[in-house]
Amino acid sequence: MWLWRVKPWGLAPRGLKWKGGLLSPPVLLPLRPVSGCRAPSVTATALVNYWAQLFEERGVPEARESSEYIVAHVLGAKTFQSLLASQRSTSITDLQREQIGELCTQRLQRMPVQYIIGEWDFQGLTLKMAPPVFIPRPETEELVNLVLHEEFQRCQERRGRGTLDHQPHCSPVILDVCCGSGAIALSLLSRLTQSRVVAVDKGEEAVQLTRENAQRLHLENRIQIVHHDITSGVNREQLLPWGPVDFVVSNPPYIFHCDMEQLAPEILSYEDTESLDGGKDGMRVIREILSQAPMLLKDSGSIFLEVDPRHPELVGNWLQSRPDLALSISATHVDFCGKPRFLHIHKSRSCQ
Amino acid sequence: MNTLGFTHLPVSLGSFSAGLWRLWLWKKPSFLFPRAGAFGPQVAGKTVSHGLLPLNETDLEEQFVKGHGPGGQATNKTNNCVVLKHIPSGIVVKCHQTRSVDQNRKLAREILQGKVDLFYRGEDSHIHKVKKEAEKKKRERKKKAKETLEKKRLLKELMLKESRPEAPLPREE
Repeated sequence: MWLWRVKPWGLAPRGLKWKGGLLSPPVLLPLRPVSGCRAPSVTATALVNYWAQLFEERGVPEARESSEYIVAHVLGAKTFQSLLASQRSTSITDLQREQIGELCTQRLQRMPVQYIIGEWDFQGLTLKMAPPVFIPRPETEELVNLVLHEEFQRCQERRGRGTLDHQPHCSPVILDVCCGSGAIALSLLSRLTQSRVVAVDKGEEAVQLTRENAQRLHLENRIQIVHHDITSGVNREQLLPWGPVDFVVSNPPYIFHCDMEQLAPEILSYEDTESLDGGKDGMRVIREILSQAPMLLKDSGSIFLEVDPRHPELVGNWLQSRPDLALSISATHVDFCGKPRFLHIHKSRSCQ
Repeated sequence: MNTLGFTHLPVSLGSFSAGLWRLWLWKKPSFLFPRAGAFGPQVAGKTVSHGLLPLNETDLEEQFVKGHGPGGQATNKTNNCVVLKHIPSGIVVKCHQTRSVDQNRKLAREILQGKVDLFYRGEDSHIHKVKKEAEKKKRERKKKAKETLEKKRLLKELMLKESRPEAPLPREE
């Protein structure tokens, strides 16, 4: 057990005023029964300030956010902002302080916050996170919204066609390629209650994590998780248990190989680089998905991809060079930073 | 390149002084507007709930934290704070309640909708109505409690009177 040596409130070097919190880095002492040696109580806010300051001094990015998420997590909340003022000013127990210390020490090693707290939220779901499985990015939530929007539109069109339609229920089958932690697959399953998803990943850990997340969310009865490397060839048997799909969705590795070395230590040291590196032009896996899509997709189906901002043009050109695929981009959508990030691709209408 | 920075807005959730915000110069690139209907099929480009005034997406301006870097897979940022402004009224809301950008965007819209409703409808606003309703109920409860106490007091007096022998009437001389 660690004992944090704490300076009394209000004392600061050289008469400087500061808002309160621990001034110096924690002095780690083994806990021994020395009389009167109990550290004074400390509040959540004070600990957040302390660790934020330390992270900043040590060059850890998002110092304050990291500190807040970790402290909130130990206190049982998802964000520091969601804690009541009363909770933030109550004393932290010794055990909590110890837990916070251990987790924050991992942050000092630049471990991503999501791996440290072992979970993250995506589209209203809380998913387990574990290295080296790729951590879902906030942009990808919009990818899910795009699929949902498309499905709702198709569903309304189908209903609009009236009683002639023998299948008034909308129960799409979706293929999630490179599923990672299962973020896309599971959020679609939870929002489209009649849908079924086939989730595929080449990483064993990703497959296991997706399975675990599906079980936690009680969605395992509508998902099939396949351990398969799509670059090794088409595997229709495994990928199409329910026949051709209505949607192919993917957040494939799309980083240009030459950009890999510029990635932050959080990413390079902890996440699986195979889930990021898209080869020379970032298109290696994208090309594979698009090459196989015509065999996997219904004629009325759609492909939704998350890509690098340089890819819309590259993909457009490549699809033109591959008329055999008969695919075309119907729309490019931006992410919340305004960067072209998502491609909506469909089967071109066949020429008469 | 995201040229818009996240400016530290001196706004708390309780402040919606329109005059102040109209002085604020705010760039308005259209690509930041979320797609119409991105928040569900029930409304295209509008947030509607509880009889509140609907919010039009075209009246809104969203900002996220600056320095998101290349974004996408190349970045792993955990700051999911959303700042949402209602341009006509100048009301701004900041939301970092959840760990999901998508959820924060939805919540920000809900909060903003309530504030805008309050701003435009004042006493007729939903928030005001709810408050008035709560106050009314509280007054009624208090009144009822008072009446009950009074009844109890009278009953107690009555019981005491019955248990005591009657005082002799004053003799008439």
